[in-house]
Amino acid sequence: MIPAENILPLPLTDDFVPGESNFIQVKDFKFFYGKKRALHGITLDIPSRQVTAFIGPSGCGKSTLLRNFNRMNELIPGVRHEGDITIHGTSIYDPSVEIIALRRRIGMVFQKSNPFPMSIYENIVYPLRIAGQKDRSVLDETVERCLRSAALWEEAKDRLHDSALGLSGGQMQRLCIARAVASRPEILLMDEPCSALDPIATAKVEELIVELKKDFTIVIVTHNMQQASRVSELTAFFYLGNLVEFDDTKKIFTNPSQKQTEEYITGRFG
Amino acid sequence: MKSTAPLTPNFFSGAGRQTSILRLLRNKFLTGLCIFLSLLTLIPLLSIIILLLQKGVPLLGPNLFTQLPPAPGQDGGGFGNAVVGTFAMVGISLVFSVPLGIFAAVYVNEYAPVSKLASAVRFVAKLLTGIPSIICGVFAFAAIVMTTHKFSALAGGIALSILILPTILLTAEQALMGVPYAYREASFGVGATPFQTIWRIVLPEASSAMMTGIMLAVARASGETAPVLFTALFSYNWIHSLMEPTASLSVLIFNFASLPYSHHVAMAWTASLVLVTLVTVTNVIAQVIFRPKHQ
Amino acid sequence: MHAEPSRPHTLTSFTAELDQLRNSVLRISSLTRLNLENAIKGLFERDDDWCNNSIADDEEIDLLEMQIDREGIEVMSRFQPVASDLREVISSIKIGANIERVADQAVNIARRARKLNEHPELPELHLLDEMIKFSFEMFDDAVRAFAERNAELAKRIKPRDKELDRLNRELTETLVNKMQDDAKNLPGYLNLIFISRCLERIGDHCSNIAEDIVFAVHAQDIRHLAQANRVAS
Repeated sequence: MIPAENILPLPLTDDFVPGESNFIQVKDFKFFYGKKRALHGITLDIPSRQVTAFIGPSGCGKSTLLRNFNRMNELIPGVRHEGDITIHGTSIYDPSVEIIALRRRIGMVFQKSNPFPMSIYENIVYPLRIAGQKDRSVLDETVERCLRSAALWEEAKDRLHDSALGLSGGQMQRLCIARAVASRPEILLMDEPCSALDPIATAKVEELIVELKKDFTIVIVTHNMQQASRVSELTAFFYLGNLVEFDDTKKIFTNPSQKQTEEYITGRFG
Repeated sequence: MKSTAPLTPNFFSGAGRQTSILRLLRNKFLTGLCIFLSLLTLIPLLSIIILLLQKGVPLLGPNLFTQLPPAPGQDGGGFGNAVVGTFAMVGISLVFSVPLGIFAAVYVNEYAPVSKLASAVRFVAKLLTGIPSIICGVFAFAAIVMTTHKFSALAGGIALSILILPTILLTAEQALMGVPYAYREASFGVGATPFQTIWRIVLPEASSAMMTGIMLAVARASGETAPVLFTALFSYNWIHSLMEPTASLSVLIFNFASLPYSHHVAMAWTASLVLVTLVTVTNVIAQVIFRPKHQ
Repeated sequence: MHAEPSRPHTLTSFTAELDQLRNSVLRISSLTRLNLENAIKGLFERDDDWCNNSIADDEEIDLLEMQIDREGIEVMSRFQPVASDLREVISSIKIGANIERVADQAVNIARRARKLNEHPELPELHLLDEMIKFSFEMFDDAVRAFAERNAELAKRIKPRDKELDRLNRELTETLVNKMQDDAKNLPGYLNLIFISRCLERIGDHCSNIAEDIVFAVHAQDIRHLAQANRVAS
């Protein structure tokens, strides 16, 4: 087992620059599922401690790009990439970067909330347990910290050892967010986190996203244009595997410079 | 001006022709037929159980499980050694087939689901499920009895394990496939290794479905005669070692039923009743206790 | 730049409601144009009936303005428009309000005309000709720019407002001088000054309309450019 301190670095290390404008850099990135090319040379810079939204019709490549940031796509057989993605200057494909370590530094929240069939407590400490953390006080502390940052502490503190599957849909998704931040990542990837939630639960998650961006660099894929305009600072519009436009969210939603963007966000295609 | 009149004078009049008496009768007749036929399928099952209870209960008693079988022509005695022998051989078969089956299933489903080896394993497993049980016996006879020059519980157990291995492998794979991909994704997403994901998330989640498969395999193994007949043979004594001929309930039934002594035939009936009860209990356990937790 | 996205919305009801809003703005424009003409006719033909028409018809325009607001709010609440659609809805509501104010100026002119009609005709009445022609042309161009989503035309309207202001100033000066010479007709001259002022106000509203059109088409805010530049620098 890797010693716990090696894989649980604090989010604010000395060389971490808040508000770094090119925290995640995607450089002419191409991605293939077998022979099918899903991304055609994407280049964009994602700043730290802000929310960047990826929008576009289904199959446009937005989720594919998101899932490359923590190399989740590599679980699918027959995939291949060209180009590079760097985080804070280091390529995620650098041989010295361990995929396991990378995923601990990048939390991910999925479209369908996927808590493990265990207690709320065990769900949150899972990332620590697999890292070999056994210290009860550290685990307890993490549970409280994560539940608080996912705005779930008040609702869940009296039922920590109940099954996570007894939570409501919105609570489950917030639990997944809590689990995603348990290993103290710097980046949070969210793949349509609210698509299965009712409006109130959605509002709570959005509120949480705005709160979390103080500590995390958030990239969110969403089909809900209003959601993108509400929570994000920057919006990238993808279409057919190309990045059509990447700009301030305000600009995109009042005066996009590309006709395709305009037609998509005003509901003329897609 | 909006019209407030209904679209049709009678709301249901547009819904098609009215049900005729004939149609009503035909419906009733077909429903009745279906009920009758499904009841018919219960008859063989029920008659077996009734017959077994009729013939098996008279001899039933605690002595049966503590005493050895009577020699031909004698009365009294029991079949304790056969019960123990059946348990021992089923146990041996599980020792071989469960780890092998589950590990193979894990490999096939988790590590290399689309590899050539995985498809080969799946194909062979499916072929093996169709192999007559007597072939397993013949194989174990040739492979083990002939080489060790002994009929033994071990050979019997191995024959049974060959019989149930494909069942265990295939049900285990089904069980693994039943674990939502989202769990694996979530686990990988927080930086778990494939091993950690399988060990901590996938296997616990699949365990109940796997247990069902194992219990069904146990039920099947304990009832099989042919693989044991060639390999463990039979014994009138308690089991002392795994390397000696061993009695089992199924072979006892086979042997005693064909003896010309009424007491032995009656004992075969009772042994049948015990065996059916054992198999039924394991089946029920498989269905009830290990029912999927989250539904 | 794109004046109008080429395709219709996937939701046809969305397109229909935007069209409806647009038609309401065009309708209020043509009613206002008619009212302006009626007021001017009443002024030059010295016929109170035309003036009364203009004043009475203003009620319909007020109702139309409220309808435009309702339609705009409905589109926003039902379809949450963004980008060009959002700008179109916002500017339609603002343009509706500005046109209603133009119609109010028509009412003011009609009221002043009725007062002038109580006395013998002043020869200075025709000093208004140029301003009327000028302001009406601005109004027509503003409506045309809206109908055609023609931002270039709209941009040309704003500088003309300065010219209209100059005409107003000159006319007022002339009339003030006349007032000193001809104290007997002082109320008449005052009424002419008021009418001149109404025409100048129409120019201001047209200028606002033009700004809203430029915003709708190009998302460009051309209002108060001087202040904006000062703040920026």
